[in-house]
Amino acid sequence: MKKWSKQLTSPSAESYQEVTGKIISFLSITIIATLVITIIVFLTYQGIALFTQDHVKLIDFLTGQIWKPGQNLFGALPMIVTSLLVTLLAGIIALPLALVVAIAMSLILPQQVYKICQPIVELLVGIPSVVYGYVGLTVVIPFLQKMFGGTGFGILAAIVVLFLMVLPTMTSMTIDSLNAVPKSYRMASAGLGATRWQTISRIILPSAKGGILTAMIFGMARAFGEALAVQMVIGNTTVIPHGLTEPASTLTSVLTTGIGNTVMGTPANNALWSLALILLVLSLAFNLLIHLVNRKGAHHS
Amino acid sequence: MTNISNPAISVEALGVAYGDHSVIENISMKFPQNQITALIGASGSGKSTLLRSLNRMNDGLATVTGKINFHDVDINQPKVNIYRVRQQIGMVFQQPTPFPLSIFDNVVYGLRLAGVKDRKLLAERAETSLKQAALWDEVKDSLKKSALALSGGQQQRLCIARTLAVEPEIILMDEPTSALDPISTTQIEDTLVHLKKRFTIIMVTHNMQQASRSADWTAFLHQGELIEYNQTADIFMNPQKKQTADYLSGKFG
Amino acid sequence: MSPIKIDRIATIIILGFSALIGVLILSLLGYLLITGLPNISWHFITSQAESFSRGGGIRDQLFNSVYLLFLTMLVSVPLALCAAIYLSEYAPQNLFTNLIRLAMEVLSSLPSVVVGLFGYLVFVIQWGLDFSLLAGAMALTILNLPLLTRSCENALQQVPSLQRQAGLGLGMSQWRVTTKIVLPAALSGIMTGTILSAGRIFGEAAALIYTSGQSSSVISYSNWNPFSPTSFLHPLRPAETLAVHIWKVNNEGLVPDARAISNGAVVILLLTILFFNLLARFIAHRLSRRQGLIK
Repeated sequence: MKKWSKQLTSPSAESYQEVTGKIISFLSITIIATLVITIIVFLTYQGIALFTQDHVKLIDFLTGQIWKPGQNLFGALPMIVTSLLVTLLAGIIALPLALVVAIAMSLILPQQVYKICQPIVELLVGIPSVVYGYVGLTVVIPFLQKMFGGTGFGILAAIVVLFLMVLPTMTSMTIDSLNAVPKSYRMASAGLGATRWQTISRIILPSAKGGILTAMIFGMARAFGEALAVQMVIGNTTVIPHGLTEPASTLTSVLTTGIGNTVMGTPANNALWSLALILLVLSLAFNLLIHLVNRKGAHHS
Repeated sequence: MTNISNPAISVEALGVAYGDHSVIENISMKFPQNQITALIGASGSGKSTLLRSLNRMNDGLATVTGKINFHDVDINQPKVNIYRVRQQIGMVFQQPTPFPLSIFDNVVYGLRLAGVKDRKLLAERAETSLKQAALWDEVKDSLKKSALALSGGQQQRLCIARTLAVEPEIILMDEPTSALDPISTTQIEDTLVHLKKRFTIIMVTHNMQQASRSADWTAFLHQGELIEYNQTADIFMNPQKKQTADYLSGKFG
Repeated sequence: MSPIKIDRIATIIILGFSALIGVLILSLLGYLLITGLPNISWHFITSQAESFSRGGGIRDQLFNSVYLLFLTMLVSVPLALCAAIYLSEYAPQNLFTNLIRLAMEVLSSLPSVVVGLFGYLVFVIQWGLDFSLLAGAMALTILNLPLLTRSCENALQQVPSLQRQAGLGLGMSQWRVTTKIVLPAALSGIMTGTILSAGRIFGEAAALIYTSGQSSSVISYSNWNPFSPTSFLHPLRPAETLAVHIWKVNNEGLVPDARAISNGAVVILLLTILFFNLLARFIAHRLSRRQGLIK
């Protein structure tokens, strides 16, 4: 009896293994969690310095229209507006086209074509944003120069570049959500005598609605956070734009050009960190939106 | 209930709850040595939960209260080494669970984990276990082949052999034939009858014929309670409780 | 109009627009390849970049990209894998786990320029690493962690839970079940995810311009001592990568042949990404086939 008690309660190689495993995996997750907290704390701390140390009013920062750090004028509204504008327009143009390509690929074209196109879409999703920016410089801008005159640099160029960049992402995610609709729905609808378009428009699109919406917001979130591709083509002037062909600046493009040109601790530098904080908060808002859409979709089905 | 002296394993006032939802309440019973005990009952009666509690497979999934006595040790205590418990009390599942390895490597998997390196010993144990599981004749020339290439019935017997190879005292079987065809089922039932000479077997089954054919003892559970527990012949011929009679005659289930 | 007619018109519109997009994208890719390929030569790949004159190559930038990728993967793969194991195999359903998942979400929604700024603030300035490979690798790790963790977790989740039960039933510890049964079964998924993330990291620039920097120091490829500042392996030297180089050459335009250099560099970048994609596909295909039929 003693023997069994000892046998069954004494540690073995397995129990030591288990402790090791728990420690290793828990440690990793703790490192990541700490990292996230550190990032938030540091960026918030730097981001509010403009308001706490340099006594700029938050309301002036958010609604001011003039960004002249040299003269202590920190109006971030032009950048906020431009960022949201280019994101929204690129997203609105990309969505229907992404949807159309996704429908064609996953529901209309034969399987063989899908098998060739799908890797291409995946490849496009993986293309670095610098390359999209470069396409903007070498193809889009000369084209816009010819069409509208001027330099070509500006909001329209940024929209086109972002459109090209998010189109594959949106398409790929939309394809996934279309493929997730059970095949039996299609069969059942076809069995009732519905045409392909009736099945697509009445059965498949409504069932994939949540996924398509997520794809759109995800693509826009990516566009919103993009820095270099936009900075390369938008012209970088910090004024509120009055037309699509005018140059402007986004939050990301100002950060890209500005951080290297200011000295840490100065109001001009602190103002940039405040822009970064706004960028962070708005990106989190996009993420929250995706979650809400997903939760609602899950609730619905 | 007939008295069982010197049980292989017994539970006292066992309760199992998933969160706030109680699945088993206050079950006490003894499982006889070198016999086959069948746990029967409708879906949700708690029979699988009871079975999985016996070798602590519910750890992390459910809270188990009460005592589980194995060799006079309460193995439902935190200080107990669950890995040693599971080496003594093995388990076979509803579906065959071969690892993506060769047949031989599957059978000796547990032994290798326990640190056995001696090739001769491994080969001997593999042969013995495969013979006990009545699979040897079918696979003795193809031990190096992938276990995934075997049929469902063969895979399940392989999983039984894999459990036997570590030489446990008790084997728990959770509906071991539910995913198999009738011929494979019969083969496994035949195997069980041989196995009880060396092992104590406790199995959950949905199949009344299986319980009546193979089991020496049968326990009927309903909604988390042990309704009736007796020798199989007695329970099937002469059920004492109305619920048991209703279940056996197919009025619910 | 009859449903059949509507169906036909809808199909034509959909296919028409798709073809238009397809032609647009393919012609852009074709344009990049046609203008870029002639610029690629052995000299281009193996010689140093020039600051003010024409004829510069991309040797250092190419090496920096590869080395930075290596350093990043060295840290992020084990970390992400272990975190994924925690989330998939150990994490209980409670508030702490939910907070961890929320943290992962936050991390994945950070724009890369923000990650770069954080790296600049903490690694470059606070820790005094200056513009360096190490600072860049850590910024890229932050960028890589959430997506890599998620793809590893997905791969682990694909393994049937019955396999885990079988291992546990034999008396194996959860950790042993994970390393011996679950990980091998999830290997193809993990490798595919890793390689795809490597492709993303390779082309990243925004997170690097203020961490690994926009210039390269003079380095020697024969100095194998990683602690020597002139060694190509020295982790504390500033290192401009290929993607950053493309951005910088176009942004500053100090070299007269900026266009030719970027054309070539873009094609190299595209081919590398293509390579990563094909490799990921190949491995996913190969390993998943092997798992079914091990001899």
